[in-house]
Amino acid sequence: MSKVASLFHPKRLNLSGFTNIRVIRDNNKRMAVEQNEPERQALRYMIRNTSLPGRVRAQAQLQLSQMHAYTRPTQVKNRCVASGHARSVIRDFRLNRYQFRMQALAGHLPGVKKASW
Amino acid sequence: MFAHQTRSLLGAGRNFRVSVPIRSLSTPTQPTAPATTPETVSQPTPTPVAPVAEAASTPETPKTPEVPEQPLETRVKEWSERLGALGSETRLPRSVQAIYMRPLRRKAEYGLPVCDLQLRSYSVENVEFFADFAIRAAYYLNLPVSGPVPLPRIVERWTVPRSNFVHKKSQENFERITLRRLVQIKDGNPKAVQAWLAFLRKHAFYGVGMKANVWEHDSLDVGKSMDESVAEIEKSLAPKLAQFGQRKDNSLGQSIFDTLDSDRFAERKNL
Repeated sequence: MSKVASLFHPKRLNLSGFTNIRVIRDNNKRMAVEQNEPERQALRYMIRNTSLPGRVRAQAQLQLSQMHAYTRPTQVKNRCVASGHARSVIRDFRLNRYQFRMQALAGHLPGVKKASW
Repeated sequence: MFAHQTRSLLGAGRNFRVSVPIRSLSTPTQPTAPATTPETVSQPTPTPVAPVAEAASTPETPKTPEVPEQPLETRVKEWSERLGALGSETRLPRSVQAIYMRPLRRKAEYGLPVCDLQLRSYSVENVEFFADFAIRAAYYLNLPVSGPVPLPRIVERWTVPRSNFVHKKSQENFERITLRRLVQIKDGNPKAVQAWLAFLRKHAFYGVGMKANVWEHDSLDVGKSMDESVAEIEKSLAPKLAQFGQRKDNSLGQSIFDTLDSDRFAERKNL
């Protein structure tokens, strides 16, 4: 497999909401991970299976390490859907802390109120 | 939820100020054929004036009662008159009256739970209203019901800095409280329960989520009937089970790496 990241660009942009290059790149990574998961898992299984001959396991190791970085699940990072920010993204709303605060104060998030206790 | 309004309706209709539910009693504004309606409007008028046919002039419904040549029956009465007649001369239909009382309930004979319906919302009014609605609907479907049981609230809280990282000392708290109500159906007919659930889904209320657990009960010798159906199930599963397990042609000479490069893996990647 070649190492070109553009391999993972979709023909058409299949995203809605806020988009910038980092959001698009993250989306590409997500799709690459999803598509290559069976292959990765098969190779991982071979590497860990001690009943297989050592040659096969070494070969599997090589092949796994040669797979593209975008197919690694650790490459996926949650990003804010409203601003594309990658830090302090609240998972429940997929919003970054600033966007969350703005939208909560504006009443756009159902049921979310200012709390005091 | 209407409990505090109920007594006033039955005892003295004159104190009764709510105008909305009365609308269904008679059909007041009928612009097409007002001359034919006086008999169908079920309010007896004390002074029967000889009806003069003036179908053309009546469709203007907001006529003031000061017009002398209009016979009384053809005009739509004022709200105050109609409401005043409620206590003495007429009454609401029983089903409408029931709305102002606590919901009616059927008695459970065996008390066997059949369906658990959980309602969730962020607002008390919505979830209370819909629980009330569900209980009333269950009554008319002949389903014994218990509830609404208030389940523990789910409180989620988030704390975020008000501004930049450096101002970490100044933060803001947000919370979302999910309120839950449990409505349980006891020993009801499964079909009636399904009809009830479908009815609730059809009239789903905004901002109220629903989750239902439905249990079906069978007779004691259920094992026998299950044993009888095994052969049939095996027959229907046979084509699927035949594909289960390792394929022989998979391990024919080629290595596993060839398999990974094969069409089956490549087509998934659609690269």
